[in-house]
Amino acid sequence: MGQFSGVNGRQATTRVAVVAAGVVSPLGFGMRETLDSLRQPRDCVTPVARFSVAQCRCKTAGQVSDDRLLSGRGGSPRSRRLHRASHMMIEALKEVLTHEPQCKTELTVIGTTSGGMSYGEDYYRTLRQAGDLRRAPTWISNYPAQKPVIDAQESFGISSPCQVIANACASGTNAIGHAFECVRSGRYQCVLAGGYDALSEMVFVGFDSLQASTPEKCRPFDRHRTGMVLGEGAAMLALENLESANGRGAPILAEIIGYGISTDNFHITQPNPSGIGPRQAMERALANAKASAKEVDYINAHGTATVFNDAAEGKAISTLFNGVPVSSTKSMMGHSLGAAGAIEAIVCLLALQHQFLPSNINFRESDDDLDLNIVANEARPAPVRTVLSNSFGFGGTNASILMRKFEA
Amino acid sequence: MSLAIAGMGWVTPLGSGVDSVWERLLHGHEASPTTISEKFSDRAYNVFRVPEATMEGFGHPRLRRASVISRFAAAAGLDALRAADVKLDSQTAERTALIFAISNGGVIYTKRFYRDVVDAGAQSASPLLFPETVFNAPASHLAAILGITGATYTLVGDGSVGLLAITMAEDLMLNEAIDHCLIVGTEEVDWLLCDAYRRWRLLRSAPPIEPFGQRRGMILSEGAGAVLLARKGHFRIESAHPGGNFTKRVEAEEILERIVRDLAESNIDIVISSANGTFVDQAEYTALERVVPNAVVYTAKPALGESIGAAGLWQIIVAAQALRSAELPPVLHADSAVSLRLPNARMPIPEARRAIVLSCGLNQQAAGLRLAIE
Repeated sequence: MGQFSGVNGRQATTRVAVVAAGVVSPLGFGMRETLDSLRQPRDCVTPVARFSVAQCRCKTAGQVSDDRLLSGRGGSPRSRRLHRASHMMIEALKEVLTHEPQCKTELTVIGTTSGGMSYGEDYYRTLRQAGDLRRAPTWISNYPAQKPVIDAQESFGISSPCQVIANACASGTNAIGHAFECVRSGRYQCVLAGGYDALSEMVFVGFDSLQASTPEKCRPFDRHRTGMVLGEGAAMLALENLESANGRGAPILAEIIGYGISTDNFHITQPNPSGIGPRQAMERALANAKASAKEVDYINAHGTATVFNDAAEGKAISTLFNGVPVSSTKSMMGHSLGAAGAIEAIVCLLALQHQFLPSNINFRESDDDLDLNIVANEARPAPVRTVLSNSFGFGGTNASILMRKFEA
Repeated sequence: MSLAIAGMGWVTPLGSGVDSVWERLLHGHEASPTTISEKFSDRAYNVFRVPEATMEGFGHPRLRRASVISRFAAAAGLDALRAADVKLDSQTAERTALIFAISNGGVIYTKRFYRDVVDAGAQSASPLLFPETVFNAPASHLAAILGITGATYTLVGDGSVGLLAITMAEDLMLNEAIDHCLIVGTEEVDWLLCDAYRRWRLLRSAPPIEPFGQRRGMILSEGAGAVLLARKGHFRIESAHPGGNFTKRVEAEEILERIVRDLAESNIDIVISSANGTFVDQAEYTALERVVPNAVVYTAKPALGESIGAAGLWQIIVAAQALRSAELPPVLHADSAVSLRLPNARMPIPEARRAIVLSCGLNQQAAGLRLAIE
């Protein structure tokens, strides 16, 4: 990808600030709990209770507690009808608007992979088993992928148009990257971006059928890694033209400085073993930011802990970077698919704000084939100015974003 | 920013090929319904399917396990490139972005995958079917066929997602490193979708779709539409309106009126409506009557059905063809009491230069665009 031009063909010079963020994930509700979980660090993967996993190899996932998620939903009929994913999005947006109520979004760009899938499952299973279909209209109308986004906006009186990106596991990073470009081009002043996904039986069983998920601990980049565990959650960031944010005295949490996207066309579920797809995404993010690999202080890897994904990503990272600290925080919370890139952007934001390296837990032994500087098992303090976050998905879709500590 | 349409591709229940389908619409043809059923239900539904003959002879090794949604999309996408005489090599493919517009996605394989899980447990789940259930499977197949290595996006939404994809293309093409953006809207029909829309009181059990009438419901259809966008060309998308969301159906009218008002700053000759026999019609009717009462209004949905994710692209193709051929097909099965200017027969529009494409989705999204011929 080349240089980005402005709306009138002018070279884009707009800097893009993150002025607010919100998150709900297995690590916790909100930025503070997320920070605490990252620093400890906590393994937030637990046995799956939402549906039967008796016939699955993998029996665990990173899960958001319904006790907390649904406790604040009140008794309104609307609230009771909403999908869990909507409640996660509402929580994330609530935190954004609590910190930055003046945020006037013109566009919302959100990534997801499966929308309100569990409602689709309820509907089909009930149909198939001739059950009680009285709730069918609720399941059907709350199933579409855009619904949780609109529900969250509606909860806070926002009616801006939304673009819902479904680029598999890269969706969240794609959404933030695209939103970044929308602001940097000068076309928009303020854009909300993020991602969400809620655990569903179909997706869980699907990854299990591919033997991509593990019956053991999730050990990204470990020599004896055996696969991923799934997760869930939602995260949102408010991106704003830096000049405009400064002009109104908004807090600047960090800057997004680059975005790279690539498609590797190798196989619908497996990356090209050469690592070309991830490498191109990272190279393009660096070029887009006019940054060099030497400037990167930390990489939040996609790091699913599958043999092939980690090998391809590891090869790409070691080709481009020389000893940069790397971790996959999916080891702590599982892989939340369309939400992953957004949650991991929050992790990067916290690393920049609090000057530490989040860890890659469950790590036991280095993989001799991967020349990586893994932040193993313990978070550690470090000067962190520039971070890279990777997300790669089915269909060979790859995305990377670069974030930088704000310096006036 | 103003983009141009360089090429178009169309796969519909009335066959494929832009000129061929257009000719059939001009002659007042209507797709033939097919009845689909499920073993475990006594409900049967009528849909407009893409005839099998339409896809005969179209194949690619990458698509051998893919669902029909991916085949429709690939056929339409390749047609759009052919029509624009654009041949992608490794360099031009890198300068081409791909955006898919989808609503329900690969529902046939998704249902089949989950049926096995429900009937026989997780151990019966197929690792071959699962990858085809993801929303971006069709996009990844077409990207692989074309060798696109840069930006590939799948946008998900309701019937307005095709127009939202155009607004995203505008954003992407601000980047001078991108020369073309191929936008493909695609959908496949299945009994499960029909049952869902029926329970949502949006589906009619049998044709016709009666636009702007008594809200008796729609008939689902399938296929794909593709437009290749460039910076220069005969048809210009002068303005893509990202619209917004309505929280209740009664609010749709207000947002549509705002969209039409914004787009009607230039003189509008025709409107390609998304009227499909549901609540959408009344909302569009009111907005159009208030803002552009003199425009001629056309909807192809009585002839082609409601293809949801593909619908917006189909409407854009209809608008371009109407401006190119300077005539409109008849609106089928319209209520004669409607005060909008609906053509009840093939209608010449020799002076027409500008069209609004208006889309009101079934799940809270609305968008529009203005197309002009030079």
